[in-house]
Amino acid sequence: MAAYLSMGEAHRRINDYLSRLSDAISDSDGAALASLLAVSSAPASTPLSDALAAFPDFARLASDRFPHLSDFLPQLLRAIHSHSTRRFSDAYSSFEKAASAFLQEFRNWETPWAMEAMHTVALEIRLLAEKADRELAMSGKNPDKLQAAGSFLMKVFGALAVKGPKRVGALYVTCQLFKIYFRLGTVNLCRSVIRSIETARNFDFEDFPVKDKVTYMYYTGRLEVFNENFLVADQKLTYALVHCNPQSESNLRKILKFLIPVKLSIGVLPSRALLEKYNLIEYADIVTSLTRGDLRLLKQALDTHEDQLLKSGVYLVLEKLELQVYRRLVKKIHIIQRQKEPAKAHQIKLDVLVKTLRWLGIQMDVDEVECIMACLIYKNLIKGYFAHKSKVLVLSKQDPFPKLNGKPI
Amino acid sequence: MASHGAAAAAGSDATSVEVSGMCQTNQPAYPPVPSGDHSWSSSTGAATVSWNYPVDNQSQAAVYYDPQRDVSVSGDNQNVASSVPPVVQSTMGLTSASQSHVPYSNSLQHGYNPPEYTNYYYNNYPQTTNTSAQQGGANQHSGAAYQPLTSFQNSGSYVDPTSNTYYNDGGHQTAPGYGTNNYYYQHDTWNHGSSENNYAQPYQNCSSSDTSLVQSSSSVPANSFSYQQQYNQWPYYYNHSVPSSAGNPVAGSSNTDNRSVNTVSSYSYPSSEPPPPGTTSWKSNSGPSVAPPVQAPGVLEPQNQYVKPAQEISGFQYQYGYHAPGAPLSQNYYANQAVYPQNTMNVNHVPVNNHGDQHKSPNLQGSLTTDTSSENKVQVPVNPRIAPGFSMVIPKSEKKILGADLAKKPAYVSVSVPENDAKAVQHVPDARSLPFSLRNYSMRNLNRCKDEAQKVACQSIIQEITNKAISDGTLLTKNWDTEPLFPLPENLLTTPETSSANNSSPLSTSTPRRRLKSRWEPVLEGNVTDKVEPVAKALMNGSTQSVFVTSNNMVNNWDAGKFLQSRHTPLNKITKRPTKKQKIGSYSSPMQNGNTSSDSDKEQGLTKYYTNATALANSPEEKKRREHRSKRFEKGKDSSSKSRSSAANKDSMAHVRARRAISALVTSNYEDGGSLAVEDMDWDALTVKGTCQEIEKRYLRLTSAPDPSTVRPEHVLEKALSMVDTSLKNYLYKCDQLKSIRQDLTVQRIQNELTVKVYETHARLALQAGDLPEFNQCQSQLKRLYREGNKGCYFEFSAYNLLCVMLHSNNKRDLLSSMASLSKEAKQDGAVKHALAVHSALSSGNYVIFFKLYKQAPNLNSCLMELYVERMRFEAIKCMSRSYRPTVPVVYVAQILGFLRIDTDGSVLNGDDRSDECEIWLKAHGAILSVDNSGELQIDTKASSTTLYMPEPENAVAHGDASLAVGDFFART
Repeated sequence: MAAYLSMGEAHRRINDYLSRLSDAISDSDGAALASLLAVSSAPASTPLSDALAAFPDFARLASDRFPHLSDFLPQLLRAIHSHSTRRFSDAYSSFEKAASAFLQEFRNWETPWAMEAMHTVALEIRLLAEKADRELAMSGKNPDKLQAAGSFLMKVFGALAVKGPKRVGALYVTCQLFKIYFRLGTVNLCRSVIRSIETARNFDFEDFPVKDKVTYMYYTGRLEVFNENFLVADQKLTYALVHCNPQSESNLRKILKFLIPVKLSIGVLPSRALLEKYNLIEYADIVTSLTRGDLRLLKQALDTHEDQLLKSGVYLVLEKLELQVYRRLVKKIHIIQRQKEPAKAHQIKLDVLVKTLRWLGIQMDVDEVECIMACLIYKNLIKGYFAHKSKVLVLSKQDPFPKLNGKPI
Repeated sequence: MASHGAAAAAGSDATSVEVSGMCQTNQPAYPPVPSGDHSWSSSTGAATVSWNYPVDNQSQAAVYYDPQRDVSVSGDNQNVASSVPPVVQSTMGLTSASQSHVPYSNSLQHGYNPPEYTNYYYNNYPQTTNTSAQQGGANQHSGAAYQPLTSFQNSGSYVDPTSNTYYNDGGHQTAPGYGTNNYYYQHDTWNHGSSENNYAQPYQNCSSSDTSLVQSSSSVPANSFSYQQQYNQWPYYYNHSVPSSAGNPVAGSSNTDNRSVNTVSSYSYPSSEPPPPGTTSWKSNSGPSVAPPVQAPGVLEPQNQYVKPAQEISGFQYQYGYHAPGAPLSQNYYANQAVYPQNTMNVNHVPVNNHGDQHKSPNLQGSLTTDTSSENKVQVPVNPRIAPGFSMVIPKSEKKILGADLAKKPAYVSVSVPENDAKAVQHVPDARSLPFSLRNYSMRNLNRCKDEAQKVACQSIIQEITNKAISDGTLLTKNWDTEPLFPLPENLLTTPETSSANNSSPLSTSTPRRRLKSRWEPVLEGNVTDKVEPVAKALMNGSTQSVFVTSNNMVNNWDAGKFLQSRHTPLNKITKRPTKKQKIGSYSSPMQNGNTSSDSDKEQGLTKYYTNATALANSPEEKKRREHRSKRFEKGKDSSSKSRSSAANKDSMAHVRARRAISALVTSNYEDGGSLAVEDMDWDALTVKGTCQEIEKRYLRLTSAPDPSTVRPEHVLEKALSMVDTSLKNYLYKCDQLKSIRQDLTVQRIQNELTVKVYETHARLALQAGDLPEFNQCQSQLKRLYREGNKGCYFEFSAYNLLCVMLHSNNKRDLLSSMASLSKEAKQDGAVKHALAVHSALSSGNYVIFFKLYKQAPNLNSCLMELYVERMRFEAIKCMSRSYRPTVPVVYVAQILGFLRIDTDGSVLNGDDRSDECEIWLKAHGAILSVDNSGELQIDTKASSTTLYMPEPENAVAHGDASLAVGDFFART
């Protein structure tokens, strides 16, 4: 708690804040308004929050002074006050009310001058909701504020995703929505928003601000990873990577975290340097296992990082690399055989494979290995056929191991 | 207009339900004035056509008049007078004059009636909102006008001019009222004009309900059940009728139904002549017949009745409580009895059954009416639950209650017999002592109130003022007409605003508006609790009666009476105002207006539907079916229940009612307050404690609040569970039993190990039967229960969950989250390990491992895998046909695809059988087989790779299990 403030001083500070806010609105100064609305990013003790603590009747003051903003200012002040006293749930509730009032007004404004402020509101409401949910979860209550924030942002999106100058701000809100949905695990809700963004004919996607486009592509790319739609995911994540601000390494890392597994699954391996630069060492072993055909290493790597990979959602993608590792193994055997006895290079005996796997510490019986070979052929990772009678894998004479070339398995 | 016509046409189309549905959709488009004209003309034209039920009408008329006579000589005059003048205004005047016999203030009202009417006709009428018109009428003594209408039934000749105009608008506007129904019906009988079809429907409602009731009541013991049946039946009806009728069912209709049911049943049964018109009209008459004695308030009432059932009902109560001297009322009843011996008889049955002890003799009709009304009320709030369309009902009826508030609520829920005589008598002095002008004054105040809470406050203020005046002795001397209105307890929107809103959207139901309001002005807490508690208590006592008799009611009635009275006053002002808007707005309950109008439309639609089904409904088969349907709901109870004593019946009746009441309250509370969140309610107080001792119970999805007598307490449920466990009956039986156990657990909010056990048992059974939907239900409940710390077979079900997600939902995200949520210990569990192994086999497409795991599956993992086997085999054979060359031996395929079972010692069990099975399977899937040199059967992989296909499942049966075939389903009853 800050030092004691005189009533007059508190009154003055609140009045000052109110008039700045009112001025920003009357001057259509979006940037100033945005900075004044940043509730959750403010430190716990600011001149204003101290003043609010010292002057408990601030809501009345606000509504008396600016009666036309009476549904907005008191709630906003309450939100700031609750936030500074770390009552996040209350802060969220107040802020949502203020935000609703603001949205109401925003709808009526012809020009998008307040877009920046609207974006701040969108961001703030999400951050506040996250804090509120943490608080609620700690006290054993149902954390539903983020969900509420999601539905509020849907309203904001509805106000923005219309024809006209405001549409340019829609993508930002979309990204905030993505963040909420991903956190809540309700990513299926993204679909409607995506449809609205991608099917709009009167607004070119490229006209959105770059930062929003990158965020959008990142999230939609991640969605495609969930759907195991690797080609589209690759495309989106690559777009995000290319357009992302090269200075912001953390963002680049986030993108790469999903782009690398996608690339791996379509047969493109990252350099060690890249992994090191962006601190993605968890992928290093997997990449090595792919180059070596070391199934044991792959399993180890997946095991070690299982929790992390499950959480980020790429575990299943990486798990599927298993077949590629088998293929690599077969290819290595093939190369060795070609060196030893070129005549029979394209015939690989099943017990050789079984022996190799056993040497790798993987106990599989003949039928299982046979099945894997069948799968490799079936999935076009190997060209050739399997002769059951003689238990021999017969490789095609030309290009027995076709490159994936961006084709997913 | 057009819509109306269409509706009419549809109505004439009698048989097709679809058509009626269409009509209903049309109906919301209001039939404005012209439609009224239209119907009118048609009716006149038809007037000559048929005199099917003249006798009935007459008799009805007699009933109707009798009460009036009892009360005042002018009753007869009234009718005559009204009948004479074709001009509306003159009628009005006359009627009002005739009504002036009422001790209070009629003369006052009487003065402004004519102008009002004119307004009513010329101003309001054009406005689309029927309700407003209707209300205006009501407020302005139009009751008189309406009464002629009733009388009009009697004397067909004069009826047409006045009543038609009147009626048409009244009818269109107020369709929901059963009074209107009645009217319609009469039209129907006289003319079979196209428009009449519409009208006919209401009647049909009645009749249909009638039939079922009559049947049920044919035996005296059965009779007692009729109420219950009705309760059940109606929701049931609505369920059915609502969808077909474009979801437009009106509250009004429900009221009508109920009423008609009650009255009709009693009436028609003894007389053994089921004159549909007679019954209906009688019902409608019953309203007025009661009303006339009350007159001052009553004047309004009859109108309301015609207009709106809900209003009428509430009006009744109030009348009794306030104005109506008890004696006249009872006289009325007697009179009725005299006139209609059958009636009384029936009535006797009803009241005896329901209320048993009280009021048998004097009140017969009164009790009957009250019964109906109470039911109506009870039903009204319930309906919205069942059919969302009905939600409008609640606000309406509540509005009607208006002044009534906390205290009134209970009264509202269960209109009481006691009210009639006891209260009426008791309050007579009170009522009489209150001058009409005071009532006007209070009405003025009340009119300004915008919502229930405020009205409550207003009421209390009025009460205070009145008390003060009484104590001062200025009650009669004070000029209440010039008394300034006291300031409203809360700030509110001005009435004009509301009115304009109302005008602009005549169809808007009050519900949304109410919500809007309540969001900002939450309902008083006390309000809610007050409402809930009495009923809850009543429930606990098992005696609903006690609730009825509470002094609260009396007060309520008194208030209500005041309210009704005071309604007149605003009208005076209104008439003077030039614009329609203002007029409407100044009514005390603008919402009501809106409601009624929309209601009426829907009502018409609904009734149309019924009309169409009339022929059907009257047929004996249909009757039987209905009876059967209504009895369905009682099956859970003792089969011996029929032979129970009347006391027991009464108890159960009270019980049912109380349950209804609670659910009604819950619903209405919910409706009331956007502010009153569900979690704010004291669910503990409402939690059922079961008393049923029977172990076996069939599952029936609850359509109302649970009845403790049919709910089993925990220890019985345990026995039931072990019974199911050891039972040798089939899955459907067990599923049914487990569902009922689950239901009982849920309604008693039991969440412990037993709950977990029940769900686990059910989930396992469902797995074994391959019933995935049921399994998923149980699984999701189990997830929650485990999460809340209840112990159970968590690992086993984690494994099931994993398998279910990976094999049957194919949702990668779900799988990820399921896998991520596994704890370290869980991953060490055998079953979970197995499930994870299955997952990795699937992800690499390793069918060999999959089938090995299939054979080694712990618990019921194999049951889940089994559902995937077919697909996996097909994938495998596709893979093999592409990758193997030139052939694959069938024996090998049979072995790796799980057709062969290799014993631990390596010997092949039933080798031949299994191979044959594999061969058949391969052939069925299009594989091309050949015999090689050694005589071994091989798959020609190259040829097969293009011919493989997935055959249609030939023996697909419910739940994927032949033992659950349809025949079985039918066999279980």
